[in-house]
Amino acid sequence: MSYPVLALIGVAVALVGGVIAWVFARRAGSAAARHWVAVAITVVVLFALTAVFDSIMIGAGFFSYDPEALAGPLIGLAPIEDFAYPLAGALLLPALWAAFARGGEERVSAFRQFVLSSRPVSWINTAFPFGAAYLMVTREIDWVLVVGFLYFLIPYNLAMYGINDVFDYESDLANPRKGGMEGALLAPRLHRPILWASLLTNAPFIVLLSLAGGPASWVALAVSTFAVIAYSAKGLRFKERPFLDSITSSTHFVIPAVVGLTLAGAEFTGPLVLVLAAFFLWGMAAHAFGAIQDIGPDREAGIHSIATVIGARATARLALVLWALAGVAMLATPWPGPLAAVIAVPYLLNCASSWNVTDANSGSTNVAWRRFIWLNYFSGFLATLILIMEWNLS
Amino acid sequence: MSALYLAALLAGIGCMLLLDHRFRLFFWHDPAVATVITVVGTVLFLLWDFAGIAAGIFLRGDSAAATGIVLAPELPLEEPVFLIFLVLCTMVIFTGAVRLLTRARGADHA
Repeated sequence: MSYPVLALIGVAVALVGGVIAWVFARRAGSAAARHWVAVAITVVVLFALTAVFDSIMIGAGFFSYDPEALAGPLIGLAPIEDFAYPLAGALLLPALWAAFARGGEERVSAFRQFVLSSRPVSWINTAFPFGAAYLMVTREIDWVLVVGFLYFLIPYNLAMYGINDVFDYESDLANPRKGGMEGALLAPRLHRPILWASLLTNAPFIVLLSLAGGPASWVALAVSTFAVIAYSAKGLRFKERPFLDSITSSTHFVIPAVVGLTLAGAEFTGPLVLVLAAFFLWGMAAHAFGAIQDIGPDREAGIHSIATVIGARATARLALVLWALAGVAMLATPWPGPLAAVIAVPYLLNCASSWNVTDANSGSTNVAWRRFIWLNYFSGFLATLILIMEWNLS
Repeated sequence: MSALYLAALLAGIGCMLLLDHRFRLFFWHDPAVATVITVVGTVLFLLWDFAGIAAGIFLRGDSAAATGIVLAPELPLEEPVFLIFLVLCTMVIFTGAVRLLTRARGADHA
């Protein structure tokens, strides 16, 4: 295929998409005239910018073309086919903008609720394990890293917390803690849209990552998807099955790393499994500890969790033991792994303040939980330093 | 190898977002639709790039001003960033033009 043909296909696709979008936009009269005049202005300005900056980029040697594939005419240094990109963009994107223009205010608030529901403060907690695991094995940035990182940064969290918020709506109503940094109360009219948004944003990424990997990654991605759904979806509700709740929750954070490792083709050696086990214990402790503060509301709503079943004090002490075990497991890994045992210490201190917590004052552990959320950033920082050491050592 | 090209692109994106913020044109007008359009536009342009790369039309240069990081064969790290910039630039110019045209029309009636 030559570049003129490719350019024409691109413009044709944009034109068809633009016309379809334009039909949905239902613009007429002066609004329609204004739209197309603005599109014309956009094309003129973009063409001028392309003539200048495309020439500069080609002159700087950022990219070049197979001379055989070009039609011939150049504007500056830019082949004439390059102007198909801004032309296609101007035909399609403003038409999409117009098609979605109705229902402005309501959608802005819905979008805000979606973002809030996906817990932006926790985005990095799933993207980092994937990125770090993948990069430590491949040692180079490639498209799988970018796609996987983006997946575990946003769509994965949108699905995990979105499904959670939809099926938790009833119990969340009784919980004053939800609706801020730690969780969102999702209005019922947004339940169906957020489930669709989860499906539509997750599916392409899962397909792409599956194409990049082999059977091991397919298993890891299947476990990842199952854990995201099973935690809160009606019928499964693993979050209401004591112990399975902590295990599933921890899987949510460890599985991105496993997906990264399988995609990178890592060999699961003893030390690697030990690191993953430590991470898994850490995640179980985090979940169990987080469940303590909800004992009151959960019991009122008739919801079971590890904390409602074994009680606040036993749960706090279990979390302490799990964090300690995670630290000990890291001590058994090769250098510089043992350094990571230090990361357990602030968690142990934070959790120790709840050593004598009772079911009656379990709500007060929210203070320690808030400290825990910020502690994770500090731990991420330390873990990164240790990974950099490991990077330089091997 | 340097991050000059990447830095210039990020600065360009930053400038577009400043204009967007100042005049509430795109992300600051309707963040949901702006996000969808940015994602759709970037992905379509990327597919176009992939087709060109597969057909052997596009070749990555070996510029000293690029990072040299490649996401896929012939696809440098800078390319998706450039495409995001192109989408933002298109939409800021378009929404800005609509704003100016609306103003001009309003002035006629006044």
